[in-house]
Amino acid sequence: MQDNMIKTENLCILDKKFAVINPCKMCQPMGAVQALLGVKGAMPIIHGSQGCSTYMRFQLCRHFREPINVSSTSMSEGTVVYGGEGNLLKALSTIWKEYNPEIIGVTSSCLTETIGDDMALIIKKFKNSHPDEDLPPIVPINTPSYSGSHVDGYDKAVKSLVENLAHPEGKNKKINIIPGMISSGDVAEIKNMLDELNVGSIFLTDNSESLNAPLNDDVAFLPDEGAEVEEIRDSANSIATISLSKHADSAAMFLQKKYGIKSISGPLPVGIRNTDQFIGYITKITGTKIPKSIEKDRGIMIDAIVDAHPYNYDREVAIYGDPDVVTGMARFICELGMIPSVVCTGTQSSRFVQDMENIAEENDFSPVILAGRDLYDLHQQIKCMDLELLIGNSYGARIAKSEDIPLLRMGFPVYDRLGAQRISILGYKAGIRMVDIITNTILENYYDESGHEFTNFNEISC
Amino acid sequence: MPFKLFEVDKEIPDREKHIYVKDEADPVEHIPKCNSKTIPGCMTERGCAFAGVKGVITGAVKDVVHVVHSPVGCTTYGCGSKRYPTSPDLPNGGKFPVENFNLKYIMGTDLKESDVVFGGMKKLRQSILEAAKEFPYVNAIYTYATCTTGLIGDDMEAVAKELSEETGKDIVTFNAPGFSGPTQSKGHHVGNLTLFNKLVGTKEPPETTPYDINLIGEYNIDGDLWVIKPYFEEMGINILSTFTGDCSHDEICWMHRAKLSLVRCQRSATYIAKLIEEKYGVPYIKVDFFGPKYCAENLRAVGKYFGKEAEAEKVIESRMKKIQAELEFYREKLEGKTVWVFSGGPKNWHIPQPLEEHLGMKTVAVSTMFEHEDGYEKIKERVGEGTVIIDDPNSLELEEIIEDYKPDIILSGIKEKYIAHKMGTPCMLIHSYENGPYMGFEGFINLARDIYASIYSPVWNMLEFDEMGEE
Ligand code: SF4
Ligand code: SF4
Repeated sequence: MQDNMIKTENLCILDKKFAVINPCKMCQPMGAVQALLGVKGAMPIIHGSQGCSTYMRFQLCRHFREPINVSSTSMSEGTVVYGGEGNLLKALSTIWKEYNPEIIGVTSSCLTETIGDDMALIIKKFKNSHPDEDLPPIVPINTPSYSGSHVDGYDKAVKSLVENLAHPEGKNKKINIIPGMISSGDVAEIKNMLDELNVGSIFLTDNSESLNAPLNDDVAFLPDEGAEVEEIRDSANSIATISLSKHADSAAMFLQKKYGIKSISGPLPVGIRNTDQFIGYITKITGTKIPKSIEKDRGIMIDAIVDAHPYNYDREVAIYGDPDVVTGMARFICELGMIPSVVCTGTQSSRFVQDMENIAEENDFSPVILAGRDLYDLHQQIKCMDLELLIGNSYGARIAKSEDIPLLRMGFPVYDRLGAQRISILGYKAGIRMVDIITNTILENYYDESGHEFTNFNEISC
Repeated sequence: MPFKLFEVDKEIPDREKHIYVKDEADPVEHIPKCNSKTIPGCMTERGCAFAGVKGVITGAVKDVVHVVHSPVGCTTYGCGSKRYPTSPDLPNGGKFPVENFNLKYIMGTDLKESDVVFGGMKKLRQSILEAAKEFPYVNAIYTYATCTTGLIGDDMEAVAKELSEETGKDIVTFNAPGFSGPTQSKGHHVGNLTLFNKLVGTKEPPETTPYDINLIGEYNIDGDLWVIKPYFEEMGINILSTFTGDCSHDEICWMHRAKLSLVRCQRSATYIAKLIEEKYGVPYIKVDFFGPKYCAENLRAVGKYFGKEAEAEKVIESRMKKIQAELEFYREKLEGKTVWVFSGGPKNWHIPQPLEEHLGMKTVAVSTMFEHEDGYEKIKERVGEGTVIIDDPNSLELEEIIEDYKPDIILSGIKEKYIAHKMGTPCMLIHSYENGPYMGFEGFINLARDIYASIYSPVWNMLEFDEMGEE
């Protein structure tokens, strides 16, 4: 039986215990691949049957609307019996010769984990058989999907990159930033803030341009922007590592333990207080002053929240998706005077539950916390509540439609709207836009054309 | 020299056998090597056998719930990738309570490490029981092996058998783990065999007529079926079972009662038509409803079989009248434009001819993910001299094809679409369509309109920076 961590107050009856219906998570290689797509010149290979990589490319393509290349070792019946060594060796040489990547990231799949392929050993063999050639770094990432989720896959990929590449050599005065699975737009927001703060950084990894690319008559088969291999090497020489997403901090822990680089984990800088905290870390670590421009953005965001409050207060909201995005948004929603009554993530995480409980205590409400559950459970729960807004990815659109509740789309995947990679929520600037968008969604749905709330006067008179 | 090694394939010379340039002088058997394993590391566009069963064959059935026996990923990705709408109408006159149920729900066993070590049968049992409990109104439960469960060797059949009795519902197991066969095509085959062996002949239709047909290999992509269904109704021909677009579980069970089977997608579903013919003596004919010409020809063939020639002519005449003016408009706009068709399989031989015949377009390249020899023979027959025919192209080849053959438009899947767009070449979806349906007379106009809109989009004139006042 699943170890479901559910806070029981307000809970309606969810008696499905074993099966998953409409999952609220994806598998590990999906997260690993997303991390690799933020490394310049990287080619991800999924060591398994080709279905896994084709399925993931499909999901990534329809979300980002960008060319996505993920290779596969195309395991088949025969090779399953004898192990995947031959296929992986052949794939490495095909990729190396055909695409000339700057780095290759090899993730496993359920198939190759179950047959027990030792990827590190096979990669070593490949290297040994090309002693005189200038091979790109090849990084193995173990991602069996029968444990964890895409969130763990991302974390493992960044950790593997750092473990295999980080190399101490002097000091660089930079801050490492591990974003977690956030949009290109959000990575760009953080980069801009760091520029304003005049702080040098290394992003592990950086999808801000690789997955939001201009159309210019040329196609890049490997990310032509992103974290460079040299930068990942240099991450061992930074002042500190900030993992924006708590669930993506294994690499930071590793750097702390091995090279004494201070590690700070989250919270995701969504909303006022979380962004304050992020800026606070940076100024404390680097001794820089907060520039006027950032102060001004913060002021505008506060102003927007004040303007928005009469429309938003006390409205109940459900938020679902990846754990850090959900807790970040939950805190932000509370800042708007709204109540995140239901939160759901497919990933089982005690950290998530703890964070949500803290937010609940701080704001004095008791949310239904669904951790390690699915969208079917979320729907059942929503049915017996009176919510006015849903926040999450496109998978929840059906719930929104059938319960007639507006859905604010964010996270991954968002395939039924344009510009998924540009949806940004981090920092003050994106925060200002978010306050507008959330409030306008409320106005659109619950207010009339002259700007007054729909009221049932009959109800008042009786 | 009919076979061609692309520049980008210098390091993988094996690819030469998969790429053929049509030359009338060549013997018939000169076709690309196909249906073979992809070279590891090649950026293939192919899917897996599980995707072939669930994504293509069974996912369109309206009143069953699917339980994928897998770690979470295969389950998550196994839903919502195809657009095959269903109506709530059931053959007994009743209504299925959830509209588009097949698009809305997927179940999985969410395997964990301990299940992989100790076997996943218990999880499967529990999940099937929960499926029956959460969705009591479904008429059957379909359950699927995937790579992991194929490897650990769970006896899914045994579980299905036991629970069929316990739940009183048909529980059908599809054993096509992703690693079986070189492409999703293997899954089509397994899907056909399984449905035939386990279901066909197990139920009787509420009523029969002398004009009952099976429409096989029609999945109602974006409503295709709903375009052509009225043609048959107007001719007085009754579609007893569709395999499997907008169909109900029971319809599959009584396919043996039809008088004739029509096979629409011949790659994915000829298998079951053959099996039904062998065992129950129901003959089948292969049909094609893409484009007005094929549509008319095939309606005539069906009309002839049932002695309803006049009725067929009436349908054809009324539809041609309806689309004529628009067809002429699009022909004027598209005459001489070049196209590259990259589909899963059969659309490569369905589409080039109608595009040429009705719109004056020229096919310069065709490629497929999983077509077999017979399909490539048909493709070769139907494309013009000099057309390049490519089996399972990789992403670097895509770029070379675009550069060398400079198609005005590409009809393909989503993975190719954004590559083409970055190179400034219009590209539209042909697997699940942009704004379909594309089948039948009216559907062909939708296809022409989408092609026209893609090629003539104002954006293509703005790619270069244009300083005002230069003139
Ligand atoms: S087999 Fe594993 S890695 Fe592949 S799609 Fe399924 S869950 Fe993901
Ligand atoms: S694990 Fe196997 S069945 Fe699942 S998606 Fe991958 S190839 Fe297909």
